[in-house]
Amino acid sequence: MTAQVKRKITWMHIVTFVFATAVAYVLAVVSSLIFPVLGAPGVSALYVAAAIYVPLGIWMGMWGALAGYFSCLFLGLYPSGYTLLQSIVWSFADFIEAFIPAFLFRVLKIDPDFTVKRGWAAKLFPLFISLGSIILLVGITIQVLWGSLGEPFTSIYVYSVYTGLALALLGLLIGLLVGDKKTWATYIVGVVLTSFISGLWGAGTLTIFNFPPPLPSEAFWPVFVGWVAGDLIVLSVLSTALLVALTPVFKRTGLYVEKWWA
Amino acid sequence: MPTILGELTGFEAKNNVYMSLHPVIKILVPLFFSLDVLLIKNIYSALILVLLVFATILFAGVPLRILKGFLILITSISIFIVLSFILFTNVPGNKLFEYTLLQVDAEKGTLVWRISLTDSALIKAGIFIFRILAMIFTATLFVATVSDRDIVWGLRDLHLPLGFSVAVSLFFRGISLFLEDFKIIREAMMSRGVDFEKTSLSKKFMLYVNALIPLVSLMINRSYEVSLALESKGISPWTKSKRHRKLALKRVDLAVFVLGFAQLLIFGVI
Repeated sequence: MTAQVKRKITWMHIVTFVFATAVAYVLAVVSSLIFPVLGAPGVSALYVAAAIYVPLGIWMGMWGALAGYFSCLFLGLYPSGYTLLQSIVWSFADFIEAFIPAFLFRVLKIDPDFTVKRGWAAKLFPLFISLGSIILLVGITIQVLWGSLGEPFTSIYVYSVYTGLALALLGLLIGLLVGDKKTWATYIVGVVLTSFISGLWGAGTLTIFNFPPPLPSEAFWPVFVGWVAGDLIVLSVLSTALLVALTPVFKRTGLYVEKWWA
Repeated sequence: MPTILGELTGFEAKNNVYMSLHPVIKILVPLFFSLDVLLIKNIYSALILVLLVFATILFAGVPLRILKGFLILITSISIFIVLSFILFTNVPGNKLFEYTLLQVDAEKGTLVWRISLTDSALIKAGIFIFRILAMIFTATLFVATVSDRDIVWGLRDLHLPLGFSVAVSLFFRGISLFLEDFKIIREAMMSRGVDFEKTSLSKKFMLYVNALIPLVSLMINRSYEVSLALESKGISPWTKSKRHRKLALKRVDLAVFVLGFAQLLIFGVI
């Protein structure tokens, strides 16, 4: 019988979390300035910061989710100009973004193995997943906003849903060919789920429910579409590269967190 | 010891009176201004706050060339805020401009996307812009006058846990380390023949993206070094009390505190 070693939180966890928060904050500010979503300070159509804290969530559990939360909180305050209360509520969007993939890996008890066996598949699947999900999202948005007006919006919606779903499914199948099937399937599902859910919370708390929402409710759809599209691209391209390159480093240095905190 | 801004840019606040204030006061003054931002009710109070923070920056002797660097940031945010109020919202008020951007005749009606500019929309946008301006000035005042050590000592004097104080200090240190590392990686890329001047914006973006892997790698190394240093000093994250140098509050500190608190109360009323 092997005795289980009780792992404790160390400075290594705290310092990595703090440094990751700092890096994510700088990248968040830069992304929201270079690729802004029109009308929403602090929201970026290519939010590069997510490429730091989402993999960190997979590697370090709650520390990654907290890095996402705090970098977003600071971004909300400086330079986006939201109040402290608005930022506290809004920032859960980035917490959720890192939490969902981390949760999937932990609840399914999958030891992440991002080794790439087929390079072409690793390069191709982000394209299909992002493009398919974005087309699907645009179709749904058109239906919700203008579906009641009938044609041509109904046809655009139907074609977008079919095309988007087909491309996304194809992306998932290609993703399974990259390497370890369990790891890649969980990761791809995590990326799509987390982009939509964090987009809902992020755009919702900016426009519909907050104390009070800093932006008008009419801005929900542009912010939501920009948010989800940006996250899908960043997570499927940049986070994948980071996970492939650095997962062995995290495991080797003992920084990898099997549970949530240590 | 250099301030956070001094570490980043080499520029620091020059006023000896402000710089010799107690660390707690140097932390509280920007905190009071941050709280003022929450109390802004109209465009006049927003403008007063901007002027007040700017006057404090001038008094502290923060080099104005630092603020020049924020001009692009402020301009871009301002443009997007104004555009958002024109393109996506219809704020009731006196119409100054109106234009139909898109009109699509559909089966059961017409889709119309109209942009309109009203005086109320401009005032709302103005409040947003002044608020952001005040926040950027406040952040500049903070980083230009406070050092890593000031943060740890100041927060410890406010009876906050050591782990928390060190973490806050490391956050600001982390930003400067990240920018330093980024410069090193950029130079390494240039030495391998990458020409950032002649590269298109999209390619430049991809080059910066490629820099993310070595940046995170360096971040892990830094975390390892810093945590080893902390552990070798016998400090645990849960240490409740660790002796640190206590500075006495002077009269000038108390005067600045009273002034800061008074202006906070005034902003709560106006």
